Amino acid sequence: MKQLSILLIAFLVVGCVAATKPPVDLFVSTPQLLKQRQLETRRYDGIAEMELISACSNVLQDLGFSLENSETKLGVITASKERDATNAGEIAAAVAVAVITTALFFPVIQSVSKDQTIRVSLVTRPVIDSDNIAMPNSHFVRITFQTIVRKTDDSLRYETLTDPELYQGFYSSVSKAVFLEAQKI
Amino acid sequence: MKPSLSALLVCTLILSACATATTNQHVLGMGDESQLQKRSYQSRIFDTDDKAKTLRTVISTLQDLGFVIERADLVLGSVSGTKLDKQNRARITVSVRKKGTDRMLVRANAQFNVTAIDDPKQYQNFFSSLEKALFLTAHAGE
Repeated sequence: MKQLSILLIAFLVVGCVAATKPPVDLFVSTPQLLKQRQLETRRYDGIAEMELISACSNVLQDLGFSLENSETKLGVITASKERDATNAGEIAAAVAVAVITTALFFPVIQSVSKDQTIRVSLVTRPVIDSDNIAMPNSHFVRITFQTIVRKTDDSLRYETLTDPELYQGFYSSVSKAVFLEAQKI
Repeated sequence: MKPSLSALLVCTLILSACATATTNQHVLGMGDESQLQKRSYQSRIFDTDDKAKTLRTVISTLQDLGFVIERADLVLGSVSGTKLDKQNRARITVSVRKKGTDRMLVRANAQFNVTAIDDPKQYQNFFSSLEKALFLTAHAGE
């Protein structure tokens, strides 16, 4: 009984003091981050920055995102959308765990994903030529997709999406939009 | 029965201590250091007069470090970004201001989850990445 009370107190103290120490490599570039940069970046030539950014924002609207913030003078757009995040597999697993643990007289109810906010941050920047001058009609676009998944116990899980197909899909839509923009369609 | 009662009492005490710790004492709280100390490790001066270019470089440096840009404002000279990792969330705001006629003062302040980052080494790491991206040497700040 005594051990149980000590354990309970220890849990409460730990719960009270949240993780506060940032990782030492918080502001250090890693090979994984460089890979992510390649995944997220594409270069577009022959289009002015304003036209490029407006093509990108059109694509985001096509995908159902609502614009949140923008500063076109710095080439920044952020957007988000809320969507359902329920997953049949995850629910089935949680139910299985609940059934088995109840049979063992120690029921464990797992929380499952409920809904999610999908966030997008898109930044354009001019390509710098060998004389260190910004090229007027060549730009890099870098987009990052993130999800914040809310579970049934209201806890949050953050994730930066790394699926290459997702980024390829987005950029193929941008390429089409850039073409339409260039043709003024 | 006795030990469980005392445990309950201790738990209640700890819980109430937790509750009082979340008062508004944090609103104007700056931590243990002076304003000057904080400014000195959070800022650097760069020899450039191009505000937009400095801001764009800050943005791409933050992106390379895994931050996602949330807001940017050329007139205010500020950029904010967030780095999310499973349960953890780091936030940073970087501001760029003109210092004299041909220099820029860059100041960064960051937090990790619910705590301000006050380790000068973390800021040093950020500014050394920014130096490389700007092709300029950072001078000590204010």
